Amino acid sequence: MNRSSREKSRSPLARQWLGTLIVAAFALAFAFPVYFMVSSAFKAENEILAIPIHLVPYEFAGLEEFRRAMEIAPLGNYVWNSALVSFVNVVCTLLLSAMAGYGFAKFDLPFKNFLFFFVISTMMIPQQILVVPLFVEIKYFGWVNTYWGLIVPGLMNAFGVFMMRQFIAEVPNEIIEAGRADGASEVQIFVILVLPLLLPALASLAIIIFIWSWGNFLWPLVAVTNEKLAVLAVGITNYTQPYQRQPMWGAAMAAATLTTLPVLIVFLAFQRHFVKGITAAAIKG
Amino acid sequence: MGASVKAPITRNQKWWGLLFVSPAVLFFAVFAIFPILFGSYLSLTRYNLLTPPVYIGFKNYFALAHDRKFLLSLRNTGVFVLGSTVPIWIGSLLLALVFDSKIPGRTVWRALFFLPVLPPLIVVAVVWKVILHPYGMVTAVLSPFTGLGEIPWLTDPHLSPILLIAINNWTMIPFFAMIWLAGLAAIPDELRYASALDGANSAQTFFLVILPLLKRTAVLVAALSTINAFQAFILQYELTPDKGGPADTNLTLGLLIWKYGFQYFRMGDAAAASVVLFAIILLVTLIQLILGRSKY
Repeated sequence: MNRSSREKSRSPLARQWLGTLIVAAFALAFAFPVYFMVSSAFKAENEILAIPIHLVPYEFAGLEEFRRAMEIAPLGNYVWNSALVSFVNVVCTLLLSAMAGYGFAKFDLPFKNFLFFFVISTMMIPQQILVVPLFVEIKYFGWVNTYWGLIVPGLMNAFGVFMMRQFIAEVPNEIIEAGRADGASEVQIFVILVLPLLLPALASLAIIIFIWSWGNFLWPLVAVTNEKLAVLAVGITNYTQPYQRQPMWGAAMAAATLTTLPVLIVFLAFQRHFVKGITAAAIKG
Repeated sequence: MGASVKAPITRNQKWWGLLFVSPAVLFFAVFAIFPILFGSYLSLTRYNLLTPPVYIGFKNYFALAHDRKFLLSLRNTGVFVLGSTVPIWIGSLLLALVFDSKIPGRTVWRALFFLPVLPPLIVVAVVWKVILHPYGMVTAVLSPFTGLGEIPWLTDPHLSPILLIAINNWTMIPFFAMIWLAGLAAIPDELRYASALDGANSAQTFFLVILPLLKRTAVLVAALSTINAFQAFILQYELTPDKGGPADTNLTLGLLIWKYGFQYFRMGDAAAASVVLFAIILLVTLIQLILGRSKY
């Protein structure tokens, strides 16, 4: 856009330099707090609030702050719980969404439109509105302070069903009919013929669900008070409580870095899928 | 609706279809639709989790209407929503345009710009707690101008609401810029060249050619950011004194629901506040849907 024909006369090289400068300034400004978090995780405690700011650790602390973070709170438990919750959530959401999407896209069901609307309407319900009644429900089930209570309400996501139905609708019916003609069972058709075609969509959905589940805060905060069952997102607040006697900003930054790391890895490894996943709603909406 | 199988369907296959959708339907019945109905019922009761709920009609709602904390939380949520919608729409679109320009190293600059999207919001809160420490880096950087060695950024009743909005926008602007960029990438370059050939300048090309094509993206950005802002909770929970302070200046509706429910165990009041929040969000979504359908 910035190269319309009339403007070309104004020294394109200077324009490009100026453009690069502006882009770089914004990029660095937005990135700085994240850089600060990561670099502080490797600083000695007294360096973190040091004035003037230490842009790089003067005294590289190695993994000292991570070790301290494990001393202060059961960081290992947090990581394990977060990993478990996210893993189960992702696997179940992918499987159940693909199944439901397949059912809605390729079968004539009784009350199909009603059932689909029933599922999709739950996309409109924010977690904050569910948290009170859901907690009471979980309490009736006897699931407070258990993995069941922590995990089960997150096993599904209506957006997943919506997304999968969109993708499966584009799978040619001939593939399914050919499978039936060959005498494959309905389960075989779904698993062997349909699922492999969904892999790109499933990858995007996996990324969305993982990020959502890994950073989810409100429900784990409410469903679990037992420190042993806390997830990373909730446990991390233990490092910043004002009543703690000793400063532990280093441990806080180490835990913060650790919490961000899996998302960063996903971002770097699947940058295309990541952006696509996050913007899937934009394109499909 | 979606395509259906054209070949004659046996009854057997119909059952298979039901079997495929039933886990999802059952799940949402138990963990989404039922809680909404149950929550509406709870909002008509007095319930402290220890003794069974007692039906009291609309008393909780009448109580909320005179509840200073609730009214304050409505106001605070409104302020947060104002600060986290229009500035985000404009900021994210402008920055998307900036990062859409074809300059060397674009992928790297974009990746840096997207970094704030990665840390979960609670991590964002923890990091900014250090950056905005009273003796911290921002205080130091500004001290030549302010002459102060200590600034209570997050405990000041005037500064903290603004800072929470700023922190939220820092992480949300790159997120929404991502969505704008996806929308921009879907517009073929030919349109831009054609517009330039017709003698349109950059501004004309943007407002007359590009922007109308981004309408669906705009509706999405507006809807998502608004719904998001109404649920403000994590930043206020982690960054403000007494979770929502000082003197409840950062007590949002989301935080109030949590406090009433899980600090005071007034589940009835918390459920009533949830119903109010749900009604507000539905109303706003509806308005945006109607506006989104209308022509420019």
